[in-house]
Amino acid sequence: MDQATHRIQIENLSKAYGPVQVLKDINISVPEGRFVALIGPSGCGKSTLLRTIAGLEKITGGTLRIDGQIVNDMPPRKRDVAMVFQSYALYPHMNIEKNMSYSLRLKRSAPEAIRQSIAGVAETLGLGHLLERMPRQLSGGQRQRVAMGRAIVRNPKVFLFDEPLSNLDAALRVHMRAEIRKLHHRLHATSVYVTHDQIEAMTMADHVVVLRAGQVEQQGAPLALYEKPANKFVAGFIGSPAMNFIEGVVGPDAQCVLFGGAARQQVELGRALPPGQPVWIGLRPEHLRLQGEGQSVQGVVDSVESTGSMTFIALNVDGAPQPLLVAHPGTVTAAMGDVLKLYIAPQQIHVFDKTTELAL
Amino acid sequence: MNKLLSRFPRENGFEITLAGFALLYLLLFAGLPLLYNIVLSFQQVDLMEPATLLRPFAGLANYRDVFSRPEAGQVLSNTLQFVGLSLLFQVVIGFLLAMLFLQDFPLATFMRGLFLAGWIMPGLVVGVIWKLLFAGDYGVLNHVLTQMGILHSKIFWLSDPQWSLYAVIIANVWLGVPFNMLLLSVGLAAIPADLYEAAELDGANAWQRFWGITLPMMKSTLGAVVSLGAIMTMQQFDLLAALTQGGPANSSQVAQYWSWQLSLQTFEVSAGSAVATLMMVLVLIVAVIYVRSTRNERMV
Ligand SMILES: Nc1ncnc2c1ncn2[C@@H]1O[C@H](COP(=O)(O)OP(=O)(O)OP(=O)(O)O)[C@@H](O)[C@H]1O
Ligand SMILES: [Mg+2]
Repeated sequence: MDQATHRIQIENLSKAYGPVQVLKDINISVPEGRFVALIGPSGCGKSTLLRTIAGLEKITGGTLRIDGQIVNDMPPRKRDVAMVFQSYALYPHMNIEKNMSYSLRLKRSAPEAIRQSIAGVAETLGLGHLLERMPRQLSGGQRQRVAMGRAIVRNPKVFLFDEPLSNLDAALRVHMRAEIRKLHHRLHATSVYVTHDQIEAMTMADHVVVLRAGQVEQQGAPLALYEKPANKFVAGFIGSPAMNFIEGVVGPDAQCVLFGGAARQQVELGRALPPGQPVWIGLRPEHLRLQGEGQSVQGVVDSVESTGSMTFIALNVDGAPQPLLVAHPGTVTAAMGDVLKLYIAPQQIHVFDKTTELAL
Repeated sequence: MNKLLSRFPRENGFEITLAGFALLYLLLFAGLPLLYNIVLSFQQVDLMEPATLLRPFAGLANYRDVFSRPEAGQVLSNTLQFVGLSLLFQVVIGFLLAMLFLQDFPLATFMRGLFLAGWIMPGLVVGVIWKLLFAGDYGVLNHVLTQMGILHSKIFWLSDPQWSLYAVIIANVWLGVPFNMLLLSVGLAAIPADLYEAAELDGANAWQRFWGITLPMMKSTLGAVVSLGAIMTMQQFDLLAALTQGGPANSSQVAQYWSWQLSLQTFEVSAGSAVATLMMVLVLIVAVIYVRSTRNERMV
């Protein structure tokens, strides 16, 4: 795609606080109307990256373009981006209507036009009856909506969200997740959404960027990251419950991985790897089955937890740093100490180099 | 001790006793003198019998006497200027300094600390220092101003009736700025940074952020600072005593100093108490405004 169709273009962006390099060589392109999620563990630089797009942090290297124009040195108020803060940052001394209309009033829009757009947005977000209230008189979910409304009213080029749902309880979070997705569907607003909740990222975004320690580990469509993780970190980060890892060595026939120490086990890969190479094998909990064909892994039951619809079994397997977790649909009768055999299709087995941790 | 405490009724017995002591203290050491002063202002006082409480009732005669004195108009105007100008400059300069020291620059905290040094000095000492600064022939202020070419002839700050009131006001402003700066700094620091960021993204420039965020968010702090400043300025005494004693020719005379002079220098105790009572009413009004503004604080 050419530059003009890209709302945001980030090239070799870096950011340092004094000697501390917080973002390194970031490259991300966001086409117009796309919903991009930034995800990664705490402290990896998600908020910082978002704030550089907003202009609240100055970048120390690379270029940042919005609509093709370089904005490296442009102050935030000229960038035409709106941000929904984790704390919502509503103006405490203004009522909801004033909060949402502040930007329009600064632009000296006509009072009638302001009134209309506020009414429209308030209607969409179900805030109509709250316009006269002060922020302190609202619940967390309502404040969240007002923060979104304040952004929507502006009709900006880009929406930025910094963990907007993290202050809500679980049920409300699921609800707002759906609301934001619906809104995006309707407005087609270019959005960058920071979260450390990978379910949020997977369910909301068209494009997911996984960050670690200030670097992009992998980016792509949510399912691509799930199915073809580029390395062990992404494999472990995307997916819930997290992928299981077992330490092993490629067998002499180049087609299988041996693991499990004295109780020697092996899985066939269906493809060739250099014999003798130390590797990690990765097995997703939801791919392991108690019956079936394909490859199998054997272990001793450590614990069983059932939620009715799902049963989670933890197995001790030699070579696995943590017990192997199995997510099995329905109820399963298993007791601590039982020896179980789990089956998995060869194409669902992930293999990573032991030292570089890159996918093989 | 436990035995003693358990003798009080279970609910709040101990707290009631503590509050009782506090009230008793207030009544004895604040209430009674105030009351006595008010009573005095309605009585005809004979200095030959200072110890009696029952003196001839004078009605409003003392108040009429005070207002009919030739200097009354000047004292009133001086007092208004003294309080008004002191407050204005204290708050504005204090606010500017508070915003300056909120910026992150080297030694900001250290320099802010230095400003407080003036605050811990007694008013009399500050008065003496300013007397040296203001002195006509060898004063530092005149020297600096002439060197800078702002002044062409010396100003006799303290002995020229044209300037004496303003000299006192300048010194009082200097004395009050650290207090204002400190309280306003606390208020400014309490404004969350993300509000400014949100406003900036909403398109507000620095000026608009100041009027749209800073000032409204500082409303209650400003209310408190102005009221406390008004009270402190209306009480200012040591500085006046050290600098001009109201002179020359009442040109820097203000109500609180006048009241003291009437009562304790010319021994017109009744007139002095009348002035003091009027001041008290004023302070009370300001105090009520202050209490209201701090009550609103929780709403912001
Ligand atoms: N002003 C600053 N000065 C120095 N280092 C900073 C500053 N702000 C952030 N950092 C560092 O930058 C790194 C990234 O911070 P950032 O807030 O972007 O993380 P994050 O991914 O948003 O984490 P979280 O999920 O906890 O919000 C952190 O290691 C942090 O310590
Ligand atoms: Mg963050």
